[in-house]
Amino acid sequence: MKRLAVIAVAVGAAFAIVVPLFLKPYGIYLSSTWAVLTIAAMGLNLTLGYAGQVSLAQGAFVGIGAYTTALLMHAGVPYPIAFIAAGLVCFSIGWVLGYPALRVQHHYLAFVTLAFTTLVFLVLRNEEWLTGGTYGLSGIPRPVLFGWSTNGPVRFYYFSLGVLTVLATGTWWMLRSPWGRAFIALRENPIRALSLGLDTRRYTLMAFAIGSSIGGLSGAVFAPLVQYIEPLSFALNLSLNLLLMVIVGGSGYFFGPFIGALVAVLLPEWLRFIEGYYLVFYAVMVMVMMAFCPTGILGLVERIVKAVSVKRSPPQPALQPEGTSP
Amino acid sequence: MTAVLAVSNLSKYFGGITAVDDVSFEVRDGEILGIIGPNGSGKSTLFNCVLGQLTPNEGEVRVDGRVTTGMRPCDINRLRVSRTFQLLQVFPQLSVRDNLVLAGQEHQGSMYTRLIGRADAGLGEAAGQMIEFFRLSHLADEMAGLLSYGQQKLLDAAMAFMAGPRLVLLDEPAGGVNLTMLGHLRERLQAYHAEKKATFVVIEHQMEFVMALCTRVLVLAEGRVIAEGTPHDIRRDPKVIEAYLGH
Repeated sequence: MKRLAVIAVAVGAAFAIVVPLFLKPYGIYLSSTWAVLTIAAMGLNLTLGYAGQVSLAQGAFVGIGAYTTALLMHAGVPYPIAFIAAGLVCFSIGWVLGYPALRVQHHYLAFVTLAFTTLVFLVLRNEEWLTGGTYGLSGIPRPVLFGWSTNGPVRFYYFSLGVLTVLATGTWWMLRSPWGRAFIALRENPIRALSLGLDTRRYTLMAFAIGSSIGGLSGAVFAPLVQYIEPLSFALNLSLNLLLMVIVGGSGYFFGPFIGALVAVLLPEWLRFIEGYYLVFYAVMVMVMMAFCPTGILGLVERIVKAVSVKRSPPQPALQPEGTSP
Repeated sequence: MTAVLAVSNLSKYFGGITAVDDVSFEVRDGEILGIIGPNGSGKSTLFNCVLGQLTPNEGEVRVDGRVTTGMRPCDINRLRVSRTFQLLQVFPQLSVRDNLVLAGQEHQGSMYTRLIGRADAGLGEAAGQMIEFFRLSHLADEMAGLLSYGQQKLLDAAMAFMAGPRLVLLDEPAGGVNLTMLGHLRERLQAYHAEKKATFVVIEHQMEFVMALCTRVLVLAEGRVIAEGTPHDIRRDPKVIEAYLGH
């Protein structure tokens, strides 16, 4: 199973590196969008998939990150600083938003975060002096990093892929550390976790803050990708889309968001010939998946691999006889 | 000598119902205290008050002389006090090994050093030893949720010992466990007690289990302590017989 996963990741990484060589500029733009959405979904997967905290606010954090970056760049702040600032601002707001999660859970928490998304949308739309209101902010430049310009579809794709790789590596490191185990414990049984010495309050806040900050960093890449941002892009629709990406890919699986974002970006393109009906198709696909495989695409793959390996191995005894340690 | 655990005049009410009524007792270093009583006598509520899951309305709890009333369960756990629950409480999506590492990791360094430290928080070897001690080696890398009920009960108990506790409170460890597994569980608990000199408090309905394991027994009925003594004395106490048999 582990070997299979390593091979799949290596093939996926190689594909991601060479893919722009075979695509036209629009295809490369879509690939960059995939990288940006994967980052945002990865953050949500941390909050929801690992730590079990329902959030409908990830789209809002992408927006906060995008606006923070755009505003700072317009003020002449270098991109790397604007990028870090976007992450820090979202970390702080995410930490505060985590407090309701200490009191309410599940659909109640979903409503709290939904209200937050609406609030952010209203601020972005109404505070014209800062955000440009419905006209949004335009002319966001593509960053130049250490003399290397990210202008041009291929360059920006590799920049997005680079950010995704760095953030994915950091997230992977965190999830394989005791923190990852603590987040899963928080999701599965917070009462038992508390009795084992886990400060569930701090871990809940951390899960929200880190997940939100990754969402903000995704916004910091999104802003120079599209070079024009407006409030509607970060309304509830985006949060729901990101939620679907996590669920369709496989909530609580590290590579779930990668697959989910791929489906979300490619499906509308593949189904372009049926025009607006692609949403109907997408909705039916999600409903069928939830009914038959609630663990998403990667959950389905894991089930198949396990079913094959169980057939090959004999059942285990209830208790191991003494002196028979393998 | 200071008692490892001292409970003084503890009471807990739920609306008009008194679940625990002015209960006082002490647990001495190295002893195994059994708490028995009919269903609804307040045993689990007493545990929950002692371990911070519930806040008592009256009374005080001390661990090694330190007042722990009102402290959060995670802070009480850091005083090397651990517990099991009446209902199974393992983490089904984690492997047996990861369940055990999780049970001990919060005692290793600070939250922030754990982030940059080793993935197993330096507990890989200790978890392996615990797995071997409870004879679960053949299941070490299985998801806990795939284990049988009895195996999960063993894992649940093993998790309570991972952080090297000074005091362990076991809430019905034998509940729903078959006779073979029960004998194994009792033998493992006795072996751990003999080896580590830990102090146990055990709530149990299975009388043979309590009588074989405990050095002293406390009997609760309707939230009050009605008897206390050696297993031999308790078995013959008329108040205990009446509480259990109702005559």
